[in-house]
Amino acid sequence: MSELLRNVPLYLVLLAALVNLVRRQWIVNLAALTVQFLFLFPIVRLILPLELALIQPFTGLMVTLILYLTLMNVGGIEPGNLKRRPSSGEIFRGLSGLLLLAMLYTFLPSLQREVFPLVPGDHLYLSIGLILLGLMQLGTIREPFYLSIGILTFLSGFQLLYYALDYSFLLEALLVAVNLLLAIVGAYFIVKNAESNEA
Amino acid sequence: MSNTVIIWIGLPAAVSLLLILLQRWQKITAIIATLLPLILAGLAGLFLNDLVLTVAGRQFILEDSLVVFGRIVQINASQLGIVSLLYFICFAWNALSRLFDESRWFNSLSLFITALWVSVQFVTPFIYSAVIIELIALTSVPLLSPRGTPAKKGIIRFLSMQTLALPLILVSGWMVTGIETSPSAQALVLRGTILVLLGFVLWVGIFPLHSWLPMLTEESPPWTVSFLLVMMQVGFALFFLKFLNQYGWLRTLPELDTFLRWIGTFCILWAGLIAAFQTDLNRLLGYFFLAETGYIAFSMAYRGTNGLEVMTMSFVTRVLAHWALGFSLSSLQRLTGFQSLSFDSLRGIIRRYPFTSILLICSLLNVIGMPLFSLYPTKHIIWNLISTDNQAITILVAAGIFGMLTILLRLFSAIIHPEIKNEESTPEEPGTETIGLKIMVILILLVIVLPGIFPDILSRPLSELLVSFENLTH
Repeated sequence: MSELLRNVPLYLVLLAALVNLVRRQWIVNLAALTVQFLFLFPIVRLILPLELALIQPFTGLMVTLILYLTLMNVGGIEPGNLKRRPSSGEIFRGLSGLLLLAMLYTFLPSLQREVFPLVPGDHLYLSIGLILLGLMQLGTIREPFYLSIGILTFLSGFQLLYYALDYSFLLEALLVAVNLLLAIVGAYFIVKNAESNEA
Repeated sequence: MSNTVIIWIGLPAAVSLLLILLQRWQKITAIIATLLPLILAGLAGLFLNDLVLTVAGRQFILEDSLVVFGRIVQINASQLGIVSLLYFICFAWNALSRLFDESRWFNSLSLFITALWVSVQFVTPFIYSAVIIELIALTSVPLLSPRGTPAKKGIIRFLSMQTLALPLILVSGWMVTGIETSPSAQALVLRGTILVLLGFVLWVGIFPLHSWLPMLTEESPPWTVSFLLVMMQVGFALFFLKFLNQYGWLRTLPELDTFLRWIGTFCILWAGLIAAFQTDLNRLLGYFFLAETGYIAFSMAYRGTNGLEVMTMSFVTRVLAHWALGFSLSSLQRLTGFQSLSFDSLRGIIRRYPFTSILLICSLLNVIGMPLFSLYPTKHIIWNLISTDNQAITILVAAGIFGMLTILLRLFSAIIHPEIKNEESTPEEPGTETIGLKIMVILILLVIVLPGIFPDILSRPLSELLVSFENLTH
């Protein structure tokens, strides 16, 4: 039971990434992105000191805020409708995401033993899980907002993995810059698409 | 200020940020973005031997390293040739940027991107440069996908590929730490090699993961996209040399040369075969870049037989070849008023725009590697190396070149045939070739023809470029 409670942030982060993969509703996606970044903190805190562990969630929240403000400016965000029946595409993406996570769970022990022996199992599962869900997002959508979310999910999974392998201030600074620039590029794409739709 | 890192990375990066604020004054930003790279390239040439400059009895001594977040960025005298080359590229494209309807971000961001490419070559540990390359890709977005059009497939695929390469390279760096002393080195060497090579295949757009290349050249303005792709090609070639120089296990891997040879073969073959069936000039630009990547792969594969010297010899000529090609495509876009340069829209242009049409044909002949043009001497050496090495590869490369010649003939046929009268597709006010443009075309023709006749002109300045890759030259 205590192990289950300890892993609550891990499941919440993966669930948020799955929601982002499945649902195509801006407000739901922004909320899921916030959850995803917030609950990364307790996981990163296990391997990094407090002041360093705060960087990734804090950057993530700034990124979410940039995307939120941009979406508001290009026509507002419609209220979320959680009761809407899922489309066939959403069911497909959801099942594919779950299949990926299940397969990862199966192969995790050998992956850990052969390639990443120094990374704890839960940590490895979460980081590779985020990488896979991010990749799937990148492969299934062309809309810039979701592309940004896909890359952000992919990169946050990779950052998480790399924290357990090696930590460098320079690398952290560069990755923060990449995340922020990614949010700006995402915002640029959203504005550009909105402009060309109006024209 | 007396530090190489501040002069060649910090200063241009700071100026480019300032230019972003000044972009309302396009002339000023264009002038600064042209002059600063020229000065930086010239300065790098001045300090090539050592970091001491004596002027009127006074000595200026530059420090060669700077600590950033606990890591060292170092540019010493022997590496300034690389810096000079990268700023020369930035100068060449910015100098003519005002002639074309480029994004107003072009001047500032091109300078920033050049500063980032310089930093890619000199960050220690060099593996961290992968993240800087991701920053470059993200910074390129406003240039490649200007406002007014929705984001298209090419830019999205480009961003995805660049992002996917980042973890592969970073993890490879971690994985191969201490590989030389590891008891199970063979497995690590295999994994490290796969990660590094896959990372570069994704980054550079090598066959079969090159689909974003023609898409991007089709969607983006030719002047901008040619700048970014040339910068990428040169930057990645030098960065790969750094991998070969640093990683003894990669350099001595016997299968690496075979892999590079086949990569080169497929890049040239595929580029030629697919290009032969194209009907859009912008897409052709992408395929010609793919073929050039193939030639660079061959140069690296034949590094035991002076392949790297051939590559450094061809750097400036290759840059100028794509500069000329980019100029001709951009001029045609401006003159015809068509964004998409399909063969139908180019019918009969040799009568209306003879100078630009001749430049286009000559640029393509140059890029294909025809005699009398600047790329011929180096391509001739590569072809000789291939023909004495492997017959199958020779035939496949020849088929690729045949495909490129086919598209050249098809294009020639299109531009000499009278245009089909179609009032809907004809722009309202097609432009005319001005005296300035004609003079410019003649000058560019000289630039791509003279080095073909006198190969030493442009190859000598970079003859010392390989000095900083000490493990590859001994």
